[in-house]
Amino acid sequence: MADDALSLAGIDAFYGDSHVLQGVSLSLAEGHVLGLLGRNGAGKTTCMNVAVGLLPPRAGRVSLFGEKVSGRPPEAIAMRGLALVPQGRRIFRSLSVRENLTVAARKPVAGARHPWTLDAVFAAFPRLAERQRQTAGYLSGGEQQMLAIGRALMSNPRVLLMDEPSEGLAPQIVAEVMSTIRRLKEQGLSILLVEQNVKLVFDLADDIVILNSGRVVVSNTAGELRAGRIDLHQHLGVF
Amino acid sequence: MSQWLLLGVNSVSLGGLLFLLSAGFSLIFGLMRIPNLTHGSFFMLGAYFGVTLLQLGWNFWLAALVAAVGIAAVGGVIERLLLRRLAGQELAQVLVTLGLSFMIADLCLMVWGGDPIPFDAPPGLRGALPIASIVFPTYRLVVVVIAVVIAAALWLLLERTRLGAMIRAGVDDEAMARVTGIRVSRIFTIVFCLGAAVAGFAGVIGGPILSVYPGLDGDMLPLALIVVILGGTGSLLGALLGSLIIGFLYNYGQVLFPELAYIILFLPMLLILLFRPQGLFGRHVP
Repeated sequence: MADDALSLAGIDAFYGDSHVLQGVSLSLAEGHVLGLLGRNGAGKTTCMNVAVGLLPPRAGRVSLFGEKVSGRPPEAIAMRGLALVPQGRRIFRSLSVRENLTVAARKPVAGARHPWTLDAVFAAFPRLAERQRQTAGYLSGGEQQMLAIGRALMSNPRVLLMDEPSEGLAPQIVAEVMSTIRRLKEQGLSILLVEQNVKLVFDLADDIVILNSGRVVVSNTAGELRAGRIDLHQHLGVF
Repeated sequence: MSQWLLLGVNSVSLGGLLFLLSAGFSLIFGLMRIPNLTHGSFFMLGAYFGVTLLQLGWNFWLAALVAAVGIAAVGGVIERLLLRRLAGQELAQVLVTLGLSFMIADLCLMVWGGDPIPFDAPPGLRGALPIASIVFPTYRLVVVVIAVVIAAALWLLLERTRLGAMIRAGVDDEAMARVTGIRVSRIFTIVFCLGAAVAGFAGVIGGPILSVYPGLDGDMLPLALIVVILGGTGSLLGALLGSLIIGFLYNYGQVLFPELAYIILFLPMLLILLFRPQGLFGRHVP
């Protein structure tokens, strides 16, 4: 069996004394979209922080295409082909749109199928091209989200993590973001998608993992879950 | 009349020298949040390195460049071995850099002795330049040109290069910059070395005007602090304007109110701290 694009195995993670991830295991198959669901505080963003190396796990192992990356610093993990579109977008506000993209540019890692360049990102998001000289902090929320996605793509990642990309956006912008994700998936990118919006996740994901209080409570294909054999309400609360 | 004009030229040239001194201090404090109290020592050590090379018969400009590289190396060692371990602990950084400045002062006293060592401007720049009916000291005009060139070069580096954008990205959001693959730690070391190098270079450039003597570090550090508080940290424009303001206050203050020289220097600092703590052009609001 080929190695998974990204796998977390038996992850224990703490913020101070608070045990926020308890033996979390999940794996993202190459070319798939894995939806990660859970209530607020269930540990979704913590999983992202562990994967990118911002929060070193106390136990367990993070692997990228079979290679252990946990314990390495974030910049080294980024070099191995992992990119993050973080919650709240976190673009570099004082840099221009163009600079936000160029500081993230990396040569494609061997095996990347679709090399991303400044021109390719501008072609995918024409609005960024129009505003390339603007200071990024003045962009609208939707434009900032496009920029955060473009910045992640500029590193030519093999695995893309997206943390709540629809948060706080108008419906037509959400639709745009979703069609972007679909396009990236068609290009063969492996994507881990964290979302509050369950319908979006079910539209896009091949596999679903649900976290509750720092533990994996459901891990299955989206198809199985859609068939309704598991009571989602029990794990996700009111929606 | 011509005396006042000459005082103006001296003010601008002192301003240029102060800019070279404080630009690095401002960048290191504004970008990395390190209050580096060894900055005056970098200036003095640069001057001592420079004068030693001059005594060996080196060319003035080459001596200044090599002294700058030497101070960059000293700065790099201090940043990597000491300050890196104290990241985010400003009080510890203040105490460590202050202690280091005393140690460097002691070492300099041991190596170069207690007497001031005067040194000359490069040949050809020692005289005076008659412009209209006034005679200007040539070297002071050259200092102004050097300060402008370095200011422009630093601005281009920060605002117009990819390295500059990476530095600013690291300041905006260090964690996100690292996740984006930017080696923030290495880039901050580069900033620290660069700031130290410019201070060491300034020590040599200032030598023909100030000479070099034990206590030069303690004379220069407060001036750098005032400049940066006036202009605001992390802003090259702020450091430039702050330096010019202090250059003028220093020169005219000493002539007009010689007994109040320090009050004239430090009063604007107090007012800025009270009423505009981010400085005139500050990048960060503390």
